[in-house]
Amino acid sequence: MIVTVLDILIAGLLMGGIYALIAVGLSLQYGVARVLNIAHGEFIMLGAFITWSLYTAFGIVPLVSLAISSPLVFTIGFILYKTLFTRLRISSPSVAMFEGKSMLACFGLLFMIQNIAILSWGAEIKGYSYLAFPVNILGAKFAANRLITLGFAVVFGSAFYLFLSRTRIGKAIRAAAQDAVAAGLMGINISWVLALCFGLGALMAGIGGTLISMSYQIQPTMGLEYTMIALIVLVVGGLGSIPGSFVGGFLLGLVGSIVTYVQPGLALVAYYVIFMLLLLAKPTGILGR
Amino acid sequence: MLDVNRIDAFHGRIQALWEISLTIGEAEIVSLVGANGAGKTTLVNTLTGLLPSASGSVEFCGKRINGLKSHAIVELGISHIPEGRRLFPDMSVRENLEIGAYLRRVWKRKEETLEEVYRLFPKLRERQGQLARTLSGGEQQMVAMGRGLMSKPRLCIIDEPSSGLAPIVVDELFRTIEGLRCSGMAVFLIEQNVQQALEIADRAYVMENGRIVIAGESKRLLQEELIKKAFLGM
Repeated sequence: MIVTVLDILIAGLLMGGIYALIAVGLSLQYGVARVLNIAHGEFIMLGAFITWSLYTAFGIVPLVSLAISSPLVFTIGFILYKTLFTRLRISSPSVAMFEGKSMLACFGLLFMIQNIAILSWGAEIKGYSYLAFPVNILGAKFAANRLITLGFAVVFGSAFYLFLSRTRIGKAIRAAAQDAVAAGLMGINISWVLALCFGLGALMAGIGGTLISMSYQIQPTMGLEYTMIALIVLVVGGLGSIPGSFVGGFLLGLVGSIVTYVQPGLALVAYYVIFMLLLLAKPTGILGR
Repeated sequence: MLDVNRIDAFHGRIQALWEISLTIGEAEIVSLVGANGAGKTTLVNTLTGLLPSASGSVEFCGKRINGLKSHAIVELGISHIPEGRRLFPDMSVRENLEIGAYLRRVWKRKEETLEEVYRLFPKLRERQGQLARTLSGGEQQMVAMGRGLMSKPRLCIIDEPSSGLAPIVVDELFRTIEGLRCSGMAVFLIEQNVQQALEIADRAYVMENGRIVIAGESKRLLQEELIKKAFLGM
């Protein structure tokens, strides 16, 4: 019994850690850069496939390949914002208009990135085996890669939280999120900060993708499911609240794990139920104002 | 130090500023007064890059600054303390002040500058851990002023610091502004509170319908019949 509980708990935390990471990324992109990035999952997919390619073609292990995939995905995100979204932002008379336009642009990005991935990697499901040996914790057995995944999700999430709360650039990001005009008057280059946030959001998605590829199978169309989950986590945790995204991520992961144990396949249904109940009870989210 | 030469500015297609010219010298306190809607805030926003000017020039220490983005203007040494304070509501008082020292050259010495600001506004030291949105109006204005001083500006533009504050708080605030002169900083004070704004200033400009209508020594303006009638209710 205890083994089963532990089993469910660890599996839930593992999923929760990844959910939290990708939701934090989306939170940055929407909360600060005001882009509701429907293509968020595509960056997760890109991270996963870059990791897969580097491992199967060159034998570069996933945790090392993060050093290659992370800057790459960040740069793609940064340049996308600088070129595409900055242009949309300048040509939009209001924030609401920009949000609408940028969401449409993200739909376009979703199809483009997905089809480029299908063309270059093929549509079939892929996977690889890395550190798959079992580890024994209090009688329950887990694949080592899952535990490492959880560890990394927590480390990256905390590092990111410290970056936002302690550093000069982190404070500038939060200031820009709260009042972009006032932030400009403090000497903060707003268009640079917004591009940085979009890039960092893509980076979090990329890291999430690498971690997902270590424990799960991947395919070019995997992104949308993760985008949906990230959106639910974002709303459940409270829009714009980074700690909220963490709480929401782990909550969803645990619920998903429990539901999967009882009835596999109903996890997504459970997420929507939580989502709707929360919208009825506290529309601003767990840690939202 | 600041030379504004015949600038025009528009809100959409409506002209809001007409050929505004003014100057501010080193360590000088200059007030800009006028009724609500005269275009005072529009003028200030044009100076610090929040609103583009259609024609004319703005020079700061000999360098043309119109057309520059706000963040580049701050870099040159102009601090704009905006109307309505615009604090970062979900950050603590201390963090609001710290972000005022965002510029790389002042960030390194932000602890010292923070001490100076706390000496100027001792109340803020007590409140440093509190979120900005939980402060009273007077305290919020202190944070806004402190935040603006954290970048060690050579010119500080203060837009409507007294709005919504109790008279006793306003007196204290004006004394602090007057004291800024000692540090060698120039102050451009935008106010509806004409009497007090003229009392602490060296010179003043009066705006009406987007134009500067009167300019001169503030001592002299306090005596002027037109100003007495229009603004001081005498």
